[in-house]
Amino acid sequence: MNQQLKVGIIGDYDPKTFFSHISTNEALSHAASALSVSTNFTWLPTLSLVGQSIGATLKQFDALWCAPGSPYKSMEGALQAIRFAREMGFPFIGT
Amino acid sequence: MNIQDAEHEESAPNAPTLLINKLSCSLVGKTQVIKITPGSCAHQAYGVREVTEQFHCNYGLNPQFREKVGTGKLKITGVDVEGEARIVELSYHPFYFATLFLPQISSRPDRPHPLIVAYLRAALAFHNSRRND
Repeated sequence: MNQQLKVGIIGDYDPKTFFSHISTNEALSHAASALSVSTNFTWLPTLSLVGQSIGATLKQFDALWCAPGSPYKSMEGALQAIRFAREMGFPFIGT
Repeated sequence: MNIQDAEHEESAPNAPTLLINKLSCSLVGKTQVIKITPGSCAHQAYGVREVTEQFHCNYGLNPQFREKVGTGKLKITGVDVEGEARIVELSYHPFYFATLFLPQISSRPDRPHPLIVAYLRAALAFHNSRRND
């Protein structure tokens, strides 16, 4: 069975406003197929990323991706999650 | 970079220190050629020195900070023909990239984007390293 990677996508999912949100999900699937792995991705609303306990939420993922879509509902939440990825050595891409 | 009051022009248009400001020319719907720094993680991921990428943005790194960014741990490893920052990466981190373009919009089932493949490869390595801990 393929290995499954869990990707946390930092961003406020709104494909009607941001067409690239659908592309983000699809591009992860394309890349996963190329590597013969599967991905399980979860969009993480920026308002949910504020506060002390975000580490518990974020550490379950194998990588974090900051999605397009500024201004974020919570810039603070987005920045906290990006900082977590930087400080904890999590693979990260911001697009 | 230790710029404590760094702000984004979109959310704080009147702030004194706009690290991210409005591009002199919008990149919504535009395509640009980007030169990649040899030996960078971006170069390793792409395998080539020049790529074409699609943009959908109005804001970018304020050119006033270009030199400051280049001298720190955050490196500019992709620039357009004018030398403006298009890819940055953290030199000491296993995989930490930001791009001004949208690699995801040019990905296709038969042509996955090389940066995103490299990203998931890093995720797989990270996953396996934690499993073995």
